Amino acid sequence: MAGAASLRQIAFYGKGGIGKSTTSQNTLAAMSHYFDKNIMIVGCDPKADSTRLILHEKAQDTILSLAAEMGTIEDVEMEQARLWGKGLFDKETPGGWINCTESGGPEPGVGCAGRGVITAINFLEEEGAYDEEGLDFVSYDVLGDVVCGGFAMPIREGKAQEIYIVMSGEMMAMYAANNISKGILKYANTGGVRLAGLICNARMTDKEYDLALELAQRIGTQLIHFVPRNNIVQHAELRRMTVVEYSPYSDQAREYKELARKIVYNDMKIIPTPISMDDLEDLLLAFGLEDEVDESQVGKAAEA
Amino acid sequence: MFVLGFHFPADMGNQIPDELVAEKIAGVDISDVKEIKLLMGTKDKDKEWISYTNNSTFLFRALVHYFKEENPDKAQKYMIYMNRYQMSAISKRVDAADDETMKLCHNLDSMEQFRIEVA
Repeated sequence: MAGAASLRQIAFYGKGGIGKSTTSQNTLAAMSHYFDKNIMIVGCDPKADSTRLILHEKAQDTILSLAAEMGTIEDVEMEQARLWGKGLFDKETPGGWINCTESGGPEPGVGCAGRGVITAINFLEEEGAYDEEGLDFVSYDVLGDVVCGGFAMPIREGKAQEIYIVMSGEMMAMYAANNISKGILKYANTGGVRLAGLICNARMTDKEYDLALELAQRIGTQLIHFVPRNNIVQHAELRRMTVVEYSPYSDQAREYKELARKIVYNDMKIIPTPISMDDLEDLLLAFGLEDEVDESQVGKAAEA
Repeated sequence: MFVLGFHFPADMGNQIPDELVAEKIAGVDISDVKEIKLLMGTKDKDKEWISYTNNSTFLFRALVHYFKEENPDKAQKYMIYMNRYQMSAISKRVDAADDETMKLCHNLDSMEQFRIEVA
């Protein structure tokens, strides 16, 4: 594997729309700014929105789009595919730096996104991106809930070793978190991947902390942080900035700083113990988020 | 594993006994604190000051520790949500008989924002 022995390769997984890219960029920004960590982001979402807040751009050219434009991947130059972060995250700015890549994906309905991810990772390895002097972390931002093997590619290929699942106290987010744990379990023995914690990107629903904590404990991991909802995140996004850069002394920046600190010092990396769908439903019932189902009413219309 | 911001090594598992957390804050000097003041809420019209004075509890010591940590100017301090949820969870186990503490825990469990001062 490319990269220094001390290089940590982490990944943020979670259900689509849960706030993975926002959470990952704000957290990585805090790791870089407050803890002087040097980071490479590998965006693995066809939306290519994993780096826009670091680059202050709408979306950077993806490796796959550059390959399509140039004819082959061999014709793509590293300088085109990998961009240095702006502002606080530039290599010339004191403190840590961040550089950014996006794998891109196929046209909707055509091809396999996973193939794009692995093509991009192979390109970055061959071009020496993992050997950049001083690189501390590589972070993969990955769409989906690992139902599609393509999106499990960073795990399957033994790249991402340390997985953080972004979730909330809503049922589908918890379902996805449990499913991702199943994917990690499947490859834990062959590739060495481990679950490093759940990050609750809170929707501020009832008993959300308790529910997220219980799920974390049931699958054998930790709830590493509860990130509260705060409008400042959206305000920063409108300027294509992370909160850390937009308002470094804000309450929300303190939350991301704390999450960053925990990731930097985290040593809890486990093989997860996913729960059954029945157990997951029981958990939601126990916390009052689902009404108990009267089996005699199943399948009957409201007017019946 | 992190509880109240303290790191506990991974080999201790994902459920840290309350006694071990209490040990971490056992040495906190609370002698100069008579009252903890918590400002609950964000919108001006809904903000509410809560006073807490029971200095014999885990919660009092944990709040004083939180306030003093990296705060040499003793300025009002934002409370990290997860820390206060963890403080409340432990307090409900170790100080369940104390009504004042349980009432504060009920507030700390909410989605409201909190700021802390001491007097």
